Amino acid sequence: MTHDPAAMTRDLSTLPAQRPSLYRLAADGRSLDFLFAQCPACQALSFPANAPGCMHCGQAIDASAQVLRPGGGTLLEYVTLHLALAPGLPVPGIVGDIRIADRVVQQGLIAVDDESRLHPGMALRARAQPLASGDGYGCVFVPDRQAAQ
Amino acid sequence: MSHWIDGNGGVYVAGIGLHRYQFPTQTPYTHLGLTAVRAALADAGLAWQQVQSAYIGTTSIGMAAGPVMLRHLGAGGLAVMQVENASASGSFAFRQACIEVTHGISDVVLALGVDKHGDGRRAANKDGLEHLSDSATIPAVKFALMARSYLRERGAGAEAMARVAVKNHGNAARNPYAQLRKPRTLEQVLAATKVVGDLTVPQCCPRGEGAAAVLLVSGHALGRLGLERKRCVRVRASCANSERHQHPERSEGHQCPERSERHQPPERSQGHQHPERSAPGAPRHGASAIELVRSSAQAALEQAGIAATQLDLLELHDAFSVEELLYSEAIGLCAPGEGPAYLERGDSQIGGRCAINASGGLLGMGHPLGPTGIGQIVEITRQLRGAAEGRQHPGARWGMAHMIGLGAVAIAHVLSA
Ligand SMILES: [Zn+2]
Repeated sequence: MTHDPAAMTRDLSTLPAQRPSLYRLAADGRSLDFLFAQCPACQALSFPANAPGCMHCGQAIDASAQVLRPGGGTLLEYVTLHLALAPGLPVPGIVGDIRIADRVVQQGLIAVDDESRLHPGMALRARAQPLASGDGYGCVFVPDRQAAQ
Repeated sequence: MSHWIDGNGGVYVAGIGLHRYQFPTQTPYTHLGLTAVRAALADAGLAWQQVQSAYIGTTSIGMAAGPVMLRHLGAGGLAVMQVENASASGSFAFRQACIEVTHGISDVVLALGVDKHGDGRRAANKDGLEHLSDSATIPAVKFALMARSYLRERGAGAEAMARVAVKNHGNAARNPYAQLRKPRTLEQVLAATKVVGDLTVPQCCPRGEGAAAVLLVSGHALGRLGLERKRCVRVRASCANSERHQHPERSEGHQCPERSERHQPPERSQGHQHPERSAPGAPRHGASAIELVRSSAQAALEQAGIAATQLDLLELHDAFSVEELLYSEAIGLCAPGEGPAYLERGDSQIGGRCAINASGGLLGMGHPLGPTGIGQIVEITRQLRGAAEGRQHPGARWGMAHMIGLGAVAIAHVLSA
């Protein structure tokens, strides 16, 4: 699933997001913006945005608190998945814990061929990835070359 | 200082029973559970009609397993309650039974764990919230990530945690109730099929079925019931809590992840003095899960009035090999960073300083969920009685059963001879 040349040129803007409660296509037609909820009490970001309470202070939050931010973050740790532990996960594939906002960590699929291209602390950005079924796009993380420069 | 656990003359484990843990079969859960209950009654020398209340720990059987099963022992009219708390279901059933006894509600209470291999449906998958990756709720992935950070921070190789599997499969081979009874060498564990990260198949616990039962009796009733005090084991502490943070990294003290994670302190002995960590010693990644274990164990040790280093026995949640290293440090058997050395020196072997998972643990004895926590109590009771034939830890006086469950919850019990 990592390097599909056709995927790099395909127009994704006509496809639906696999998980619209989490992300949507960014203006560049390739990156993803993440949907967060910003707490009215402590101002911190929570994810996913439709959580019924702030994950930091517990304040009740609703749809009015939703904000879009460029999807990406800092890679904290990563491993290779060798066995299919759940349907839909690539095997072998790399999963990592990624800090996508201050005190917000999510697991994500990382679209690189092997672990040697990764190290903890590196910047990643979220990219749209066409689903094999052809009926939408999902989310993968790739090294953020811009941030690395 | 007097604690609630000392009420009603204290609470004693007077009878223990098991149905062997095994791979899934067509055996009805009633047969599994009744085998364990009858064994516990016979062990205690009590009649079913003397039992006043029962707590049933189970995750996957369905509603109201208790009455359906227990009516085959003869109608007793007792109170019956089902307890579900994922991996810790049996541990929490045991805790409820302790509370009922020490508060003087009943003098004789059954705690039973029984389970069949279920479909693994979880509340976490029904909360209406999506994840970026479907791996987010898979425990093996979470622990493989924690293992990777732990090994990197300790400057240890994958063999450090593979040795946990070697020890625990070896212990299980000496336990007739264990699901897996084959000793394994380090080479076999390392060469086995990889699951995720550095975890191979023998480093991940098997799922299955089984049952474990204990009969709890108040100190005040021991004499009236004609029970021998020296065959009974006293419960000295019962403490439970849940995770404080939802995210797997510490919320402070991580301003410089590249430096603290990529350039490892070479000396293991100095690992716990790393200046960039906010709490000395704890692995940075997965810190909230470690803190959960530390705080629950610490509270139980304080309630029991002993230090961790006084424990002779420790049964803990080794669903994945790395957990035993993480928790032996968190519970305080050894200093932060010393987990691999503690194991390699033989300190956690039967006959060592503190036998960890003498039963074989979740890796070897098995992890049928409902029974697991009560099976830990059964093992510790057997050991404290000096009756663990073939795997007896010599001179055992103090034991701790520690369990965690999805969510995450933790629970610790301390028992003494
Ligand atoms: Zn808040």
